[in-house]
Amino acid sequence: MVKYLSEEWRAEVEKRLKAQLTPEKMNNLTSSMNNRYFNCPDGKSRYFFVGFQNGAIDSVQVGEGDGPKAEFVISGDYDVFARISRAELGSQKALMGGLLKLKGNMVKALKLASLSDRLNKIIATIETEF
Amino acid sequence: MFDKSSPYYIDFPGRIKAIQARMAEEKIDLYLGSRLRTMSWTTDAFFPWRSFIVIPAEGLPTAFTFVIDAARAADDSWLDEDHVLGFAPMGGQDQITQVSDLIKEYLPHGGRVGVEAGMSNYTPEGYLTYYEYKAFEAAMPECTLVNAHDIVDRLQMIKDAGTINRFREASRIVDVGHEAVLAAIKDGGWKGMTETEIAGLAGYAMRKAGSTFEWSFTGGNEIACGYRTGLAGGACTPATTKKVEAGEPLMVDIHALFGLACGDHSHNYLIAPATDRQLWHAKNFVDIVDLTLKTYRAGVTPSSLAEEMMAFAEDRGFADFMVPGFEHGIGMLGDEWRIGRHDGPFPYWTDPDHEYVENEVLICAMQYACPDEDIGFRYENPILIKKDCCEYMSKFPLAIEVIE
Repeated sequence: MVKYLSEEWRAEVEKRLKAQLTPEKMNNLTSSMNNRYFNCPDGKSRYFFVGFQNGAIDSVQVGEGDGPKAEFVISGDYDVFARISRAELGSQKALMGGLLKLKGNMVKALKLASLSDRLNKIIATIETEF
Repeated sequence: MFDKSSPYYIDFPGRIKAIQARMAEEKIDLYLGSRLRTMSWTTDAFFPWRSFIVIPAEGLPTAFTFVIDAARAADDSWLDEDHVLGFAPMGGQDQITQVSDLIKEYLPHGGRVGVEAGMSNYTPEGYLTYYEYKAFEAAMPECTLVNAHDIVDRLQMIKDAGTINRFREASRIVDVGHEAVLAAIKDGGWKGMTETEIAGLAGYAMRKAGSTFEWSFTGGNEIACGYRTGLAGGACTPATTKKVEAGEPLMVDIHALFGLACGDHSHNYLIAPATDRQLWHAKNFVDIVDLTLKTYRAGVTPSSLAEEMMAFAEDRGFADFMVPGFEHGIGMLGDEWRIGRHDGPFPYWTDPDHEYVENEVLICAMQYACPDEDIGFRYENPILIKKDCCEYMSKFPLAIEVIE
């Protein structure tokens, strides 16, 4: 069991993504995504950044604050992300209901929706303490 | 069409720079367009869904439309996919948030944002709605929204060579449609035919010839026969399933779109047997159309032309049947109806004293209606105003033929 958004969690995410997501599975994508978490349990804001280069995992980062610039930024309360990670809430429903805010080219985001699902499914397999 | 050597080439980056120059003159920091005419004129793409275009003081504009159509619009436009964005009902992706977020990136400390507010008798015009205005105002409290559509209106009025050539081609295509209709109805072919069938066969012929859309919001191709041709003041006849009958007038008003330029030509027939009275009406109409086409030139105004033509109609004894208007505006898709700018006695209507200038394009549009006799005719043709005359773009011969 690792703590959500901790360094241990980040390392496990990177290990599993690199092991399970081949460049082919990621459609040789070059892109980046930054999840911004507001109102974390300690009151701070945090981020979780994933970058891809030609489909390969290039960078996985977590930390306090806004994080690096990314092609897509998804922001919302920590609790919303946690509910999605625990499969209590669908990410689409969270976006459609305005609980999460996506910034980035919507047309490109649509093309990446299935890839994002693949990534989230792998991350969801990590035993996590929220 | 993006090839500079094409006769249909339009310098869209140049249009954006022209808007930006006018913005600077009028101290507008950013232009937020929402009208269909503005979308067409700036992007070269058809935007059927609610759309916006953000034009900064310098650099490329960014268009926004419903996400289901953004990729297609980008594919059609000279703008790339990073400058045609889609909006959707989800967090951060709705149109108010996306557009205002981009504006705030350009104007982090606020500024004067030109918007398009007004009214129109043309439903798809696309002025900012009250809700949109208030929502943008709330989303950008540092910005001041000012009405600025006159910037685009002035620039749209005089047509460049590429636009004029697109109109010529759209009109050639409309003529193909008319030839197809004539071929189908002659020698008794009209028997059993409905208005909608005529609309459809014209549409098919025009599509084969390169039209992308029977663009008119008034039902695509407007076909009327019998009493429907003579409805009082009637200049709008979406086709119905009414069958063409012997002894009736038939009005064929068809529309083709080429490069967002609108072809629009109306031609009239009498289905045999034609009475002397019907032939008298027909001659009246052909004669006044012919005179009108010979009268259009730079310096003429809608009111001066109307006075002259109505005097002719009075002399000939058919003034009671003429609708006293002889034109409507036209431009790239979405620019229809109004002539000139918005400086006439009735805001957002044609200025009757607008003096035509060279390289304006308008539709010579005339309506003759005699409801008591179930007869009427319509003439429409895009015309290019020249110094001493006008060029009528549809070449289908002016006549009202009796179809046996």
